[in-house]
Amino acid sequence: MNPLLAQFLAEANDLLASVDEGLLHLERDPGDAELVNEVFRAAHTFKGSSGLFDFPELTRLTHAAEDLLDAVRGGRLALDSGMTDDLLAAFDLIRGWLAHVTAHERLPASAGNDAAGLITKLRAPLGGEPVAHTAATAAAGIAVIDAAPEWLAWFDAEWLTETATWLETTTSTMRFVRYTPDADCFFRAEDPIHLVRQVPGLDKLGIVQPEQWPAPEEYDEYVCLLSFVVATRAGIGELEYLFRYVPDQVQIVELDGDAITRHLSGEPPLKVEEKVTIAVTEVIDSELAADARSVLAAAQRTLEINPVEGVQLRSVALAVMAAARALGVPEDLTEADRASVSEAVERLLAEAAPAPVGTVPVAAAASAPVAAAGPPAEPTGRADDPGGQVGTRVLKVDQEKVDRLMELVGELNVAKNGLTFLADSAEEEFGSRVLSRRIKDQYAGLHRIAEELQSAVMDVRMLPLSVAFGRFPRLVRDLSRRLGKTIELVTEGEDTMADKDVIEALGDPLVHLVRNSLDHGIEPSDERTASGKNPAARLTLAAVADGDAVIVEVSDDGRGVDPVRVKRKAYEKGLISEEELESLSDIEAVDLVFRPGFSTADQVSDLSGRGVGMDAVRASVEKLGGTVTMRSKLGQGTSTRLRLPLSMAVTQVMVVSVAGQRFGIPVDLVVETVRVPAAEMGRVLHQDVVVMRGEVVPVLDLARALDMPWAADPDADRAILVVSVNGQRVGLLVEQFHREVDVILKPMEGLLAYADEFSGTALLGDGLVLLVLNMKEVLGLAARVA
Amino acid sequence: MTDTEAPPRVLVVDDAATVRLYHSSLLLEAGFQVDEAANGLEAVEAAMATPFDLFVVDVNMPKMNGYTCVENLRSETVATDAPVLMISTEDRPGDADRAYAAGANLYLVKPVTGERLIRIATMLTAGRGTPA
Repeated sequence: MNPLLAQFLAEANDLLASVDEGLLHLERDPGDAELVNEVFRAAHTFKGSSGLFDFPELTRLTHAAEDLLDAVRGGRLALDSGMTDDLLAAFDLIRGWLAHVTAHERLPASAGNDAAGLITKLRAPLGGEPVAHTAATAAAGIAVIDAAPEWLAWFDAEWLTETATWLETTTSTMRFVRYTPDADCFFRAEDPIHLVRQVPGLDKLGIVQPEQWPAPEEYDEYVCLLSFVVATRAGIGELEYLFRYVPDQVQIVELDGDAITRHLSGEPPLKVEEKVTIAVTEVIDSELAADARSVLAAAQRTLEINPVEGVQLRSVALAVMAAARALGVPEDLTEADRASVSEAVERLLAEAAPAPVGTVPVAAAASAPVAAAGPPAEPTGRADDPGGQVGTRVLKVDQEKVDRLMELVGELNVAKNGLTFLADSAEEEFGSRVLSRRIKDQYAGLHRIAEELQSAVMDVRMLPLSVAFGRFPRLVRDLSRRLGKTIELVTEGEDTMADKDVIEALGDPLVHLVRNSLDHGIEPSDERTASGKNPAARLTLAAVADGDAVIVEVSDDGRGVDPVRVKRKAYEKGLISEEELESLSDIEAVDLVFRPGFSTADQVSDLSGRGVGMDAVRASVEKLGGTVTMRSKLGQGTSTRLRLPLSMAVTQVMVVSVAGQRFGIPVDLVVETVRVPAAEMGRVLHQDVVVMRGEVVPVLDLARALDMPWAADPDADRAILVVSVNGQRVGLLVEQFHREVDVILKPMEGLLAYADEFSGTALLGDGLVLLVLNMKEVLGLAARVA
Repeated sequence: MTDTEAPPRVLVVDDAATVRLYHSSLLLEAGFQVDEAANGLEAVEAAMATPFDLFVVDVNMPKMNGYTCVENLRSETVATDAPVLMISTEDRPGDADRAYAAGANLYLVKPVTGERLIRIATMLTAGRGTPA
């Protein structure tokens, strides 16, 4: 993708986000002039940028939205929710288009049709299509429509018909090229095929064969007999540049739908004139002359409408001199007064031939007098900045670059850890304690820098939670309208920062929780009034930092979860046994909603019942190394709390070994490490257990679960690592404990991605690859082999 | 006036990053020196610190719009006689006049083809340096 388009897409995302946000705020506070301005500006900037590309539908739609906003801004219209809906719909459509552009670098074929209705809707409050803004202004500058040449017949008629329809609906034009390489072009190092393949925005290519191929015995393969017809979205300028070495072999025309339709129906073209054979140099000359005349016309207008003097007069004089030079009739006006400059302009304009239609950018009609501008604002900045460089303090960096930095930091950590081994061997193998200590000193310094570097890079990746919360005002608005519920959305702590990956991964679970709240949790207004509640429900999204974790809470003041109903439902679905039905506490009952296959909605709605339930939420949060808990009070509301690590980049793991192989276990799960005399191990129902502080903890043999050849020495103490998974304590029988380390966890890739019992790999300082266990899966394995 | 050996120096003033990049890369390719400013205020500050040979200015910008920016460039604050080219999406009657009243030398409506921009920039800066 060309960098300009990439830049546009990046910028467009930001602009669309601010348009969305602004519109939602506006709906609540339509009188906020500053806000209207902001939304208008974002839409306006977006339209301006879109005009650089050949996306006529996009530009037209944005233009319609912008005009509506402009009318609101100017106080000619009051924004109502119908207009807001249309505007939001327009920008939604645009967002979809941009996704398509990202993938294919062009708008979807349906763009014209999709936009037509919306444009009409957006224009309706303004009294329909404007007269001043003809579609031509939205298309590339000044469209000069050529007559359809007869070689258009080489294109497939059906395709031409389709194209004509498309061009008419989008009021855009298309460029057509006839390229007839010289017969002896191969001897001049020309490569017609290569040239044609380079045509940008190629829509259709036709290869024209000679009417009659020569007889085989006379056939000379070094003579070029083929020629080409090309339909392209590229601009005339681009095409002229591409074919600049063979200007005498190409014809370029620009056609609109109408011209093509005429060609198809056999009607004579509108303008009966010789087909233009582009001679590149001539064109540039005539265009330069036209531009020079534009400058002269501008100077003439300037002199007419205001008392030009001083610097401004000098600048007008210099511009006129430049234009005169371009026209090949240099003038010297360096010291000229106003009258002589004026006279020179009149003379030059009279001498120069009239400009082609539509190139003079001067408003022909004399317009209302310009309001006197106030005194120039005093620039507030300092002017003694030596570089005079104006730049922004914010860099937009491709995420890949940051990820690469993070990788390097990881490698640096690993390399750094190698020094400790070197220090040990300096002492042990080479008997030099002094050297060993020096290496350790070096290591300490390096360690500190590496730590700081790591946190600096992590800082770069940190984003505020507002990024994740940003979509909810819109979502809640749309859904509450659809459900006929009144809901106030409150967000708290959106400045809390977390790693970009965490923020991005939070998106789906949050949407799910919010939808659940709206759909099942919150009652319709009349029901709320009946139960003595405020008819407007409140949905709160709150974030708060908690050490190296971030807690995000979605809470509502709706119905709450009925533990009895949940238990009954779970029992009916066979998720719990009869005993559990009796014995489960209310808190445990609420937790049942996270069980796979559970859904309390009696009817699956299109909002949250899409076959994914809370179990999917829990799974995706746990994948991030987080936890989900739900608290609910019947009749008062529900709150779901997600606890996530601030960053997924660095994980603390406890290293244990079994059968001589080391494994990592996330420290978050580790409760304690104990050594238990063999005699104290017990067995209950074929399950090894150990009694700790009066609690019976099942013990799993990690070696057996991983199918590794190791058995504990019958007399030795047992090394048991107690972990807590899903609130359950389980002991893992291991061979040895090692230390805790900070590692950069890399997910398993390729074939190994199927090895669910490992959550990833990490490099240790001595170069060893550590496999980090996914405890949930390992416990499952252990249960299967038990 | 700059040293005629150096290529002309252009200040591109536009609040839309994409448009700014588009105009600057065209001008850079054509051999101009290019600086950028994201609004009128930045442009005036830059012009006070550095003499430019051409200004390419957008109309609608936050902090200080294009018209006020050009007025400032022509006022005693900066007092530059360098050509000012205004490029805007606005094509309502009167917009061009406002630009000329402020002191612009040419008012064009977006989008301006790359070729045309370079052609006009070259024409207006001829003698103010030599594009390499």
